[in-house]
Amino acid sequence: MPGIKQYDAIIIGGGHNGLTAAAYLGRAGKKVLVLERRHVLGGAAVTEEIFPGFKFTVCSYVVSLMKPNVMRELMLPQFGLELLPLESTLTPLDGDYLIRTADSDETYREIARHSRKDAEAYMRFGPAMGQIGMSVRPILETIAPNAIRPSLSDLSALKKLLNHFQSLSSEQFEYLTKLMTMSSADFLDEWFEFEPLKATMSASGIIGTFMGPKSPGSAYVMLHHYMGDIDGAFRAWGFQRGGTGAVSMAIARSAEHFGADIMTEKAVSNVIVKNGRAVGVALENGDEFSADIVISGLDPKQTFLNMVDENDLPADFVDDIKNFRIRGSSGKVNLALDGLPNFTCLPGEGHHLRGAISISPSYDHLEQAYDDAKYGHFSQKPFMDIILPSILDPEMAPPGKHVMSCFVQYAPYDIKGGWDDTKREAFGDAVVNTLARYVPNIKDIILHRQVVTPADMETTFGLTEGNIFHGELSLQQLFSFRPAVRWADYTTPIKNYFQCGSGTHPGGGITGSPGEMAAKKILGIWK
Amino acid sequence: MSRTDIIVIGGGLNSLVAAALLGQSGKKVTLLEARGHIAGLSSTEEFAPGFTCNVINDVVKWIDPRVIQKLNLVSRGLKLDSPEAVKIALDIDGKHITFYTDTEKTAHSISTHNENDGKKWHRFSEYITKQTRFLEKLYDLTPPKVPNIGFGDALDMSGLITPLWKYGTRGLTDLMRTAPMMMPELMDEWFESELLRASISTAGIHHLSFGPFAAGTGYNLLHQHVHSNGVIHNTVYIKGGTGELAKAVKSAAESYHVDVKTNAKVSSIIIEDGGCTGVQLESGETIAGNRIVSGLDPHNTFMKLVGPTHINPRFLTQLKNIKYRGSIARIHFALNGLPNIKGIQKDQFDSVFSIAPSVEYLERASDSVKYGRLPENPYVEFTISSILNPEFAPEGKHVLSATVQYAPYSLRNGSWNDELKHQLKNNVVKVLESYIPAFSSLIESASVLTPVDLENQFGLTEGNLNHGEMTLDQFFFMRPTISTAQYKTPIKGLFLCGPGTHPGGGLHGANGFNAVRGILKK
Amino acid sequence: MSSSKRFAAETQLNLSPFFERTSKLNESQEWRRWSGYLSATNYELTHENEYFAIRTKAALLDITPLYKYIVEGPDAQAFLDRLVTRNINICKVGQVMYTPWCDEDGKQIDDGTVQRLTQDRFRITSAEPNLEWINHNAAGMDVTISDDSKSTASLALQGPTSRDILNACAQDSLDTLKFFWMMDTQFSDIPVSISRTGYTGDLGYEIWMKPDDALAVWDLLLEKGKPFGITPTGLHALDMARIEAGLILLDVDYISARHAIIESRKSSPFELGLGWAVKLKKKDFIGKKALEAEKSRKPEWKFVGLEIEWDPFEKLHRKAGLPPGLPCTAWRTSTPIYNGKKQVGYATSGTWSPILKRYIALAHVKSEYAKENTQLHFELKVEHFRKLSPARVVKTPFFDPERKRSCPV
Repeated sequence: MPGIKQYDAIIIGGGHNGLTAAAYLGRAGKKVLVLERRHVLGGAAVTEEIFPGFKFTVCSYVVSLMKPNVMRELMLPQFGLELLPLESTLTPLDGDYLIRTADSDETYREIARHSRKDAEAYMRFGPAMGQIGMSVRPILETIAPNAIRPSLSDLSALKKLLNHFQSLSSEQFEYLTKLMTMSSADFLDEWFEFEPLKATMSASGIIGTFMGPKSPGSAYVMLHHYMGDIDGAFRAWGFQRGGTGAVSMAIARSAEHFGADIMTEKAVSNVIVKNGRAVGVALENGDEFSADIVISGLDPKQTFLNMVDENDLPADFVDDIKNFRIRGSSGKVNLALDGLPNFTCLPGEGHHLRGAISISPSYDHLEQAYDDAKYGHFSQKPFMDIILPSILDPEMAPPGKHVMSCFVQYAPYDIKGGWDDTKREAFGDAVVNTLARYVPNIKDIILHRQVVTPADMETTFGLTEGNIFHGELSLQQLFSFRPAVRWADYTTPIKNYFQCGSGTHPGGGITGSPGEMAAKKILGIWK
Repeated sequence: MSRTDIIVIGGGLNSLVAAALLGQSGKKVTLLEARGHIAGLSSTEEFAPGFTCNVINDVVKWIDPRVIQKLNLVSRGLKLDSPEAVKIALDIDGKHITFYTDTEKTAHSISTHNENDGKKWHRFSEYITKQTRFLEKLYDLTPPKVPNIGFGDALDMSGLITPLWKYGTRGLTDLMRTAPMMMPELMDEWFESELLRASISTAGIHHLSFGPFAAGTGYNLLHQHVHSNGVIHNTVYIKGGTGELAKAVKSAAESYHVDVKTNAKVSSIIIEDGGCTGVQLESGETIAGNRIVSGLDPHNTFMKLVGPTHINPRFLTQLKNIKYRGSIARIHFALNGLPNIKGIQKDQFDSVFSIAPSVEYLERASDSVKYGRLPENPYVEFTISSILNPEFAPEGKHVLSATVQYAPYSLRNGSWNDELKHQLKNNVVKVLESYIPAFSSLIESASVLTPVDLENQFGLTEGNLNHGEMTLDQFFFMRPTISTAQYKTPIKGLFLCGPGTHPGGGLHGANGFNAVRGILKK
Repeated sequence: MSSSKRFAAETQLNLSPFFERTSKLNESQEWRRWSGYLSATNYELTHENEYFAIRTKAALLDITPLYKYIVEGPDAQAFLDRLVTRNINICKVGQVMYTPWCDEDGKQIDDGTVQRLTQDRFRITSAEPNLEWINHNAAGMDVTISDDSKSTASLALQGPTSRDILNACAQDSLDTLKFFWMMDTQFSDIPVSISRTGYTGDLGYEIWMKPDDALAVWDLLLEKGKPFGITPTGLHALDMARIEAGLILLDVDYISARHAIIESRKSSPFELGLGWAVKLKKKDFIGKKALEAEKSRKPEWKFVGLEIEWDPFEKLHRKAGLPPGLPCTAWRTSTPIYNGKKQVGYATSGTWSPILKRYIALAHVKSEYAKENTQLHFELKVEHFRKLSPARVVKTPFFDPERKRSCPV
């Protein structure tokens, strides 16, 4: 087959960004092939029936950041995208709780029960963050300019952004600067006093990163999580019916609708580069496919250090990629339950189970969890972001049974002595024990347990170091620096080789944005 | 009641620089210092009978060359000196790394630890220097009023063109990349030797409440190396003690007829109709003047001297949100003899010694701030100041001054007291003893200054020497607040010139220099 | 209290101490949320009788949802004087002042009344929670601020016979209590404070009491008030009355500067018809500089009363073969106001005034169109099509009876 051009473009990796790029290219009339190593599509956004009748959102579990125009343009609702709102966030405490719900009166009263000042500040905080979220949208929607040798269009994009920022008020600019540089705890301390509230809110500043809430830089991650919008409502999180895998399936169907070929169990071993140009890919089974261009949806390390020969790349670029920080810090524990968890603070059923449950009673809880990880261990008393998918979508579990998805931090990839089966189970035990403090019946109702460590994420999903964002969302790894300065516009030093994963601007989460913007960039320069 | 053109509050370095420059321009200036003598943080004082110390700083990292030149400080007796070995990172087994003014020699010292690292040393020094060249230009500026940057601001920024021409856009992007980094990230890119990694990290955490794992420590590392001409851990001694720097500036000020008053503690700034009209002293005396320049930190200036009732709500919020969080303690030891530091030759005793065996050691020490407790194993940096200044101690005796990080201002269980100070001292002695055998037997007496002592004695809010943490959220146009970064304040006629303003802390005088430009412009 | 109880459906909204009575009296079972409380919109199936009670008898309203704060201490007067735009230094013990307060840009945050309870003790009422703002600005002042919202229950008794009812209940005569003054008295042995204030523009009072005494006070008022036509009244009727009185409502006629997410949503007191309450001669207060500047450059907007002229209004409907379509309750949807083809403002609330027999509205218009009798146009829909109906700028209050401020002696 070599030499015969079959496709306009080949996309390595059937994760949601690769599929999004495929759909956009297909929509523009290109013939696209997507090659996925595993038997399922979706990369980290998969749903798998690990135990009979119980469907686990193995890795990622909620959707909020999916760009509305992607959903519209790729007609995702038509192909099975169904987002169910997560109505509340419950923080169980010893002998008490904090819950924030969709009703502002109720939330005001609940927060006021703990602090009147905070209740008032909370009513101002949401809109203020919404405004900041809006103000950074133009950055997210701009293809990151080349900061080393900017082109004319780069300069005009920069000028536009500059004008945009000049239109902000001094107060907005102040918040924005603080969010870009501070710790989420410091930022929240300026607004609130009730610690469980601050701790829970700060937790969105640590999700997916190797930082604690008191680490400078975590405020940006918090902002990143505030940028999501569902139905125009900022900071509204949703659960995809059928699990996050169904999001990927919807994008895959959309891509197929636009003419893309999608093949699973086709592991690419490398990109074929001839005379400094990508001309196709070779599979591990020896097959080869050729195409005009090759796009990698993998993370930057995979894309540049595994898929191509270092010698085909400039040395300083290889250094930059090697220096790109990808530090897996989270694990996932999925539980198949015989019944509903019974919280000490709010016994029985209730609408608190329809939302997120955050194990984040204090800064100390989060910081101590981080300290464990900092020094090379998994957290003995981890932070958890929990949802009960089967409450929102009964088809996730057999009747009367439930599935519980626990996103857990911290589980460092670089654990002292490395991950093995014993450590994995010990980690699972730490999670269940921490949970049992707030949910005494949890041990009695667990039927099955799946523990996913960052090492598992790396081997199963090909996520380097098990980092869910394909690289830390730290200031020096954003925009024109993501993944490396000069190559942040989805192009690479190899002609006709492109990148479209979460390791590119604007970064991680189920956004579809890198895939969309990469496709648009590629279509813009495609002769 | 007396009257003057300009009142300068505080007798620290920046206040003196501002007063001198204003005097130089022909203004009638009165400077008011609360304590019995000028110099503030650059003071030299007797801490035990017969023993003198540099209270806060034994060494200076850099001095703004504009200040030295404009005030002719050299001709006024300022003598700067750099030891050959600027810093020695102590190793428990005596395999120290010595940093020299000569990069070649430093590389050699590193090579004995790790050959790869030694080879990279030149490149690393250049990498840091390149970035500081941009910072130096930025430090000369009055920060722009963001986000509405005017044409004039853009023109001011044109100073950046020189380094841009020299180092290219890559130089600038390297700065943008390094500043937000955390120390282990930067170190991973360069070095393997744990002692070297830790030693460079100490510059990143210098006087911060954060540990090396905090994003933005990259910036602090660069800040310490401005005007250091490529010398990592650059150290400048001032002949006769750091107090001499202030004295030189004072003599300049007095030559321009600045009236320097000591024991003149300002109790309030008098505000009428949104503008200042003078100051009231604790003695009851009032001095009229409708231009006031405060070298105190923003909290002291506004919350104490101006008073919250004269502050508009938004600025009040901004003031409350400034992060101070002092986290260092100073311990001065009066010693009955010269200590014996393992593996150190006598001719290197004029250097600065640091005890930071690993990055993790530093980070663990910083955890104590997070939980508001004393560090078991603090990071200790020390000098034997009586070597350079024999007059500091009686014949045959010595002074060892240690800077201890971290000593949190806020403790969870109670507040600083003699018992806790004693405990901190013991922890430090224990750490020192592993490098200086029988150290405790040399101690005649010791004086411990906690952040609370610094607050009480020097009026430093939360004991922060920099008048506000040196973090990226309090940098440039955000220092001290987004509304006052131009040295001007919402109170008409009131200006700031202390380290709480751009470009931040250190005994360099750049704040005072920049502030004056704004005051004279009006 | 078991924790599960705290998060049960019936406690997710606040219930006033009068709820035990109001819930049984509310025949229509129509409720509205007011500051997180369940508040009756109308007790009967229509609100008409309640409206006329305000103007011809006495209407009894549960106004407990108002936010209330106690400010006390040696600096209480100085502090409030800095906080609000009116001159609190001249407020005497027993006096009440209606006042707006602003942020430093002179944009209005809220409006309410300041009651001087003693020399060093004040109560301030507000429409939205203001504790954070009040506390923030008290820095450096010797004052204590406490939230009185739940520790004081309150009722409004409004209408021509309200004084008679109170005289029948209270130990002391109300005859000498002047407009915007208050007094302490007793209903048999229950201590109450009565202020001659209200939100209807009629003769009326507000009664302040301990929540524990709430039901007894309610019962006594209904019993003694029966011969005088006392009528439990809901928010529908109140809304009509306050528009007739030309009184603004936060979140309807303006947005608090604390909550407006864009600049153009903020208003100054000058732009809300409250210029009279801004005392620029005062030494210093929050927003003074900005308000001075605004006054000298003339405010951009004015808040005016509009009367939609009847004849053209009727004609527009007749053309479509319809009788004139009048709103049956007060409306609060933003409605464009034109001068010719150019939009020059927007009305924020309006009502048919049954007592005046006029269709009236409150509107923001550009200053140059704010003069009395300026001819403008009001947008309305007649049978699904947009029409412009002539409207005239008129003085507020639309309804201002002499009895509102007069005393019988």
